[in-house]
Amino acid sequence: MIPKIKTGIAGFDELIGGGLPENTISLVYGPPKTGKSIFCYQFLQQSVADDEFCLYLMTDYNLPQLEEKMMSFNWLIHEYFQKEMLYILDIASGSIGATQKETHTLKTSSPQNPTEIISAVIDDLQYIYQKTHHFRSVLDSTTALFSFNSPILMIRVLKSYAMRMKVAGGTGIITYTEGVVDSQIETMLKTIVDNIIHLDGETIDVEAMAGCNDVSANYKITDEGFTII
Amino acid sequence: MDMKKTYIPRLDDILGGGVPKGTSILFQAMPGIISDVFGYQIISQRLHLDNDIGFIYTNTRTPAEIERVFDKYGWDLKTHLESGTLFFVDSISEMMGVPSIGKFIINDLANSKNILLNAIEDIPGGTAVIENVATLFDSIGIDRTLELIEISNAAARKNDVNMVYIFTRWDYEDQMVESLKARVDCDIELFGIEEKVMYRQVFMVAKSNWTTASKCKIFFELTEPGGVKVFIPKLLVTGPYNAGKTTFVHAIAEKAVSVERQAFELFPTTVGLDIGHVDYKGFSADIFGTPGQERFDLLLEPLARESIGTFIVIDSTKPGTFTRAKEMINMCRAEAIPKVIVANKYDLPNALTPDKIKKRMALWEDVPIIPVCALNNKGVHQALDALFDLIYRV
Repeated sequence: MIPKIKTGIAGFDELIGGGLPENTISLVYGPPKTGKSIFCYQFLQQSVADDEFCLYLMTDYNLPQLEEKMMSFNWLIHEYFQKEMLYILDIASGSIGATQKETHTLKTSSPQNPTEIISAVIDDLQYIYQKTHHFRSVLDSTTALFSFNSPILMIRVLKSYAMRMKVAGGTGIITYTEGVVDSQIETMLKTIVDNIIHLDGETIDVEAMAGCNDVSANYKITDEGFTII
Repeated sequence: MDMKKTYIPRLDDILGGGVPKGTSILFQAMPGIISDVFGYQIISQRLHLDNDIGFIYTNTRTPAEIERVFDKYGWDLKTHLESGTLFFVDSISEMMGVPSIGKFIINDLANSKNILLNAIEDIPGGTAVIENVATLFDSIGIDRTLELIEISNAAARKNDVNMVYIFTRWDYEDQMVESLKARVDCDIELFGIEEKVMYRQVFMVAKSNWTTASKCKIFFELTEPGGVKVFIPKLLVTGPYNAGKTTFVHAIAEKAVSVERQAFELFPTTVGLDIGHVDYKGFSADIFGTPGQERFDLLLEPLARESIGTFIVIDSTKPGTFTRAKEMINMCRAEAIPKVIVANKYDLPNALTPDKIKKRMALWEDVPIIPVCALNNKGVHQALDALFDLIYRV
């Protein structure tokens, strides 16, 4: 039996046998405004609840904005970040020249510099691996990365990213906005990951996951996050 | 030959003094290694120390970001930009929607050729840094990238310009990488030393048209400020009390000293550190041997953090101490670095075979166990070979 990592979405975790299979990478994708980022926040919130480390890459918001967005669901991460269990790689602020003091848990990079992004990830993994071989990772989202880079280059980068996470023992999710790249690249993206979860605003659909293919459920987003109905 | 220095430590020695004028070098880096710093270091030091001129072609960092990188490493960019001895060929700002400060601006990668040629003619005798070839590969295609490099190199030869290409080697086919390599005069590979996670970085000259490449691997780290600095790797020798660690350190190191204190001990044993240095098959490392007694466990972790590999010395005749050996492996976090078990005293009549040791220790899959008799140097080279093979496994 593969150990499971809870997504934190009550009802959904039960549906997929307890959570995401440990040490796999899941793609969470769908049209805009279907809750992909909220899925990530909830996954992070569960990491806080389970006292696990999390490596969080963000391309569209910074740490204060993440804190604020999570706070609207009453999920608090400040203390968790202070405890150095949350490793942030902010890929939103680097290119616009926003300078913030870098620490080993808060790094900045730019979407068009994948070499630097992977280097920062490897640096974080060195720290995390010294403490634990079980951690979570989030990449929200690949959409910006695709729009700033040649999509085929980005596929190579994501392959390298997924490989690094898995070798170090991580369980990760990456998000993607459906339709941003052509279907050939989308297919390649799906081959990089182990599990595929589709969101359309009403239905959460497990397109691929060992042992629970074609599981689906209706959801809505309330002030408690994802709610399975 | 008219040589220009790279100002990368050790690299000039390996290349026979530097890089001949008009030649091209390629830094080919495993994903995750910050390779552009090598290019920036070369150009910044040449500008500063040799009154060189040059340009940086960039498609991954905006000029403003490059300025911040130079600042971080303590290199002056502004003065040279203002005096015009350095300029950007900016192939990124337009795409990012930020104002460009390049002398030349490329708004369509497909138009790179003429602009690059003009830029090269603008800096006779100078240095051009091209970053990153991978982005070109995946944007304009392999063939057009290779053609661009060929034409640029021809223009560079004519104008005595040094071309410095930075290339992140994502999962490209070997053949693509080979054809890139074939088009440059010198290929320097940057890769990581890893065990689950990358923990050290190495550069190696894989090809050089003007000198015999030594293939020796140089550990480096990036310091801020400072840039590329050579790092002398450390090997850790640890293991239970009285397993023969000191004898082993003396067997592998030409010169070693032991900080010993025997006065209150019944048997002479190490209560300080064994320190030595090994030069073996072009590899150079410092060696640290730790004391085995539990009261010195505090020393283990900081020493292990600095190490690139660990020898765990055990006494093959004392299975009772194997638990302690495993405990020490955990304590020095040796899980994340390559390690070899040195089964010492294997020549004694009651010594366990490696197979039996493996069973008794309940070892995870592939830790090599090398039978050694440190006292008369038997198996010592095999142990070194085994650890170096693991360290350099790429």
